[in-house]
Amino acid sequence: MNLAVKVESMTKSLSAICLAFACSVAISSVASISCAAEVDLKPGDTIGPQNWQRAQGMVGENFLNRIKQGHTIQIKAPKIYRPLKEYIEATEKYSGRVSLGPNGELLNYVSGQPFPKLDLSDGQIGQKLAWNFFWRWLGDDYKTGGAVKGGKIIRSVIEKDGAERRADLVSYFLFPRTRYTSNPKPAIPGYEHIDYMQLRVDSYPRDAAGTTTLEIRYDDPKKSDDLYIYIPSIRRIRRATTTQRCQTLAPSEFNLDDINSFNGKITDFNYKFLGEKKVLANLSQEKLPFDRKPGDYLPLNEKWEVVDTYVLEITPKDPNYCYPRKLLHLNKMSFDTHWTLIWDKKGDYWKEQFGMFTPVKLADGREVWSVGDVTIVNVQNGRSTIVTSTRAYNQGYPASMFSLATLQTIMRGGSIE
Amino acid sequence: MAKRHLILFWLSVCLALVFTSTTQLSAASLLGDDWETFFRDKVSFRGFAENITGLSVSDGDRHFNTSNRLDMQRFTIQPEINIEATDWAKFFISWRFVKEIRYSAEAKSRERSVSYFPTAPVKPLRNTYYDEYKPKPWEAVLDLSPTDALKIRLGRQFISWGETDGVRLLDVINPQDLTFSPPAAPNLFNLDETRIPSWGLRTLYTIQPVTNTILEFFALPGFFDEAKQRVDEIVGSNDTGDRKVRYGRWSAHPETRLILAGRNAFGNMFADPINPGGCAGLGCLVIPSTSRELPDAGDSWKIGARLSHSLGKLNFGLGYIWGFNPQSTDMVFKLTGRSCAGAPIACTLGLAPTVAKLKLTNDRTNIFAGQMNYPVGDIFDVPVNTTVRGELAFFPNKPYNISKFPGAYGLRATADPKYPDGVVEKNTLRYALGFDRTTLIPFLHPDDPWRAFSLSFQIFQSIIFDHEDGIHPFSTAEKIKRVTTTLTFRIGTGYAGDTILPDVFIGYDPEGYWTANPAISYVPPGNEKIKFSLVGAFYGGRNKFKSFGFFDEKDSVFLKMRYQF
Repeated sequence: MNLAVKVESMTKSLSAICLAFACSVAISSVASISCAAEVDLKPGDTIGPQNWQRAQGMVGENFLNRIKQGHTIQIKAPKIYRPLKEYIEATEKYSGRVSLGPNGELLNYVSGQPFPKLDLSDGQIGQKLAWNFFWRWLGDDYKTGGAVKGGKIIRSVIEKDGAERRADLVSYFLFPRTRYTSNPKPAIPGYEHIDYMQLRVDSYPRDAAGTTTLEIRYDDPKKSDDLYIYIPSIRRIRRATTTQRCQTLAPSEFNLDDINSFNGKITDFNYKFLGEKKVLANLSQEKLPFDRKPGDYLPLNEKWEVVDTYVLEITPKDPNYCYPRKLLHLNKMSFDTHWTLIWDKKGDYWKEQFGMFTPVKLADGREVWSVGDVTIVNVQNGRSTIVTSTRAYNQGYPASMFSLATLQTIMRGGSIE
Repeated sequence: MAKRHLILFWLSVCLALVFTSTTQLSAASLLGDDWETFFRDKVSFRGFAENITGLSVSDGDRHFNTSNRLDMQRFTIQPEINIEATDWAKFFISWRFVKEIRYSAEAKSRERSVSYFPTAPVKPLRNTYYDEYKPKPWEAVLDLSPTDALKIRLGRQFISWGETDGVRLLDVINPQDLTFSPPAAPNLFNLDETRIPSWGLRTLYTIQPVTNTILEFFALPGFFDEAKQRVDEIVGSNDTGDRKVRYGRWSAHPETRLILAGRNAFGNMFADPINPGGCAGLGCLVIPSTSRELPDAGDSWKIGARLSHSLGKLNFGLGYIWGFNPQSTDMVFKLTGRSCAGAPIACTLGLAPTVAKLKLTNDRTNIFAGQMNYPVGDIFDVPVNTTVRGELAFFPNKPYNISKFPGAYGLRATADPKYPDGVVEKNTLRYALGFDRTTLIPFLHPDDPWRAFSLSFQIFQSIIFDHEDGIHPFSTAEKIKRVTTTLTFRIGTGYAGDTILPDVFIGYDPEGYWTANPAISYVPPGNEKIKFSLVGAFYGGRNKFKSFGFFDEKDSVFLKMRYQF
């Protein structure tokens, strides 16, 4: 069964899949998204403090508490995207030879989805889901912020008392070894050993503007990422150790590994499949950024849909890593995440992240999905951060853009294109 | 006039390129929607306005030559415009306007406070000395990317090499303005705020992106720049004879304390009296008549090239700079002549002081440069997680002033007969090693245990090969040892969602000198554009004529308020 057929069958059977399996797994006792009694939500239904139980298990615990306290949400019909033809073709062409190595590394991978045929009883299913997540379709390259007015990623940082600050940036990704649309395909010669390269450029406020991070992720499981930071106040490039991946990206509540829900090196973690699950998500955001009250992260005037996900538990191999446990709820079709839940070392619930999606178009007019607003809430200190952006895919960025030479030509405006 | 025309020409070329390269525009749409679209999508306007109030907290006003303890009242506004014209052309321009409030009464006070020999009034700095109000752009650069691998930057710009923070080593391509800022106080004015931009060209050619193999070339002709902005700008001490060098806010302690017969004997370090054998009293005195010799316009090119490359985790660069060494601390006095303060016979008889003409010069030099950085993870399973960075500069035949210690006439130093011009050249190697890491100190961050502290430690050493006793800085009679060392440490973090930002920079010279530059900034939670900083600049040492001790009577605190737009 190819991916397109698979998607259609999944969407048709949305209401038919029961939660029995999900309820049987351990997440019911520990995860913040616990099992709902039943999933009988239909487009047009409203959930509020009077019937919050209907959303139980389908949203994060903190979000559910806000519903209990008065927030209401509406259910809408699901938005259906189709995987890109090129991605499906690459999956069909190359997935047959892909396997896992003894340490969970990916062997013989070229491009496409590594494991399109999933046996949920497979002992390595967690690792395979992780690789499907990592190699989900994200274009040949993209600019995050590309399709938002002004072309920036807007981070709104909300303090516990409701005070807000803004910090803007632009992010550029290039996937040099998994190219589906742009030539050369499937890899840029000389870059077969690089999974991705990312440039993040702060653009607002002025004191931070021009601060640029270049991150390079290598396919060698033993090779740590390269991280360079250009600091405008001294006009120098500084090397950073990758332990900085864990520290808070001030002033937000994100760290480097929270980007795209989970940005850690796949082979540095252990994975456990906890079951399938229906969650509430938004794949067609009404407005960017979503409406909200000043000082609060809750989206208003946005409707939610019921989405099928895989629940993946991530635990680090390094005992000193900041997140001893992280749960991803992966969309069964796109493998993007809708809800990300994080616990601290004491086992206390720490952060809750939910991402909305929005349709964007490629240059040839085809519709694909893009991340929209992503919200992370630190339930322990009461701070939250909303990231507003959309991706502009397949911009044709040259590999040479992702080099130290680019960092040295960054100006206060933060532009690098 | 010719220089102005050249600058106007370059600006016109830059602007013409930017505007003609904008394909969406047409002549018919000059007043239409296209312009609106262009300005909305391609042009961004930003900058900052800033006010800094400085107050002397130690020895009062006299060391700042102000009439009271208010040693800085500086207002700056810096508008900046970015134009992202096309994929291959960008233009950036900024201006810096500065007004420092000073008073005529203060100037008169300074006139009285300045001593001089022979006795004569010395004009103080004019009240507008620190002001900058010319329409000349601060930065004006056109960035061109004709190919993916080639990046060209044309215009008035900053070029920074090296790896160090707070203290310069290889960062000697642009000169610095050291007149308005306290020394070694990066928390008040960072390096970028004290650098002086230079007109020129810089190209970066990426040979192999993935290994960051980059060839860099720059050429700064110098003749577009004002003469005083081709090298570090400083305000000297009041120990001179030409009545031109004036005592500035951050001038070092004047060497007038090298006293002979109650008079300034600074000149004796560089020249003997005309009749050293038979002088007496004032006749043994050498009066310095100093002036700054700035690099000539036609002779002030600065050219450099660097090749950087990555080998595994190691990133390194090798480079070469040819041109004037702009650093004020590297300047030397060159003796250009001697004359008699009275009738020639009076000096011959040893009865009248000698006048020595001294020119303070920057050396035209070659600098061989190297730099590296390497992230260290675990060593023997111990997590080090530190980035090591290094920087090296070799100055062949670097000139130093040299005198004889102890000197004649009871002075600490007088002219060395071996070096009658007072200058000796020595190969000099300077290097720096830096160690950066972030550290979590959870008990100091109860609200966000993963908000890290940034730590940075640096060691700087300068080694003079074939060292000789008696080498000293141009301004003082303190010897420079064969090896000199400076250590710096910096720590910073953020509290309360990074609304409170403490940062401390400390410098230490093992010979017994130190500086501390603590700062705490507050960004109001509701507005990311405003920042208040309370900054201290403190200095100390075993004497006032060396290292950080130069400034140990100039301890100050500053309130800095910045609004970013």
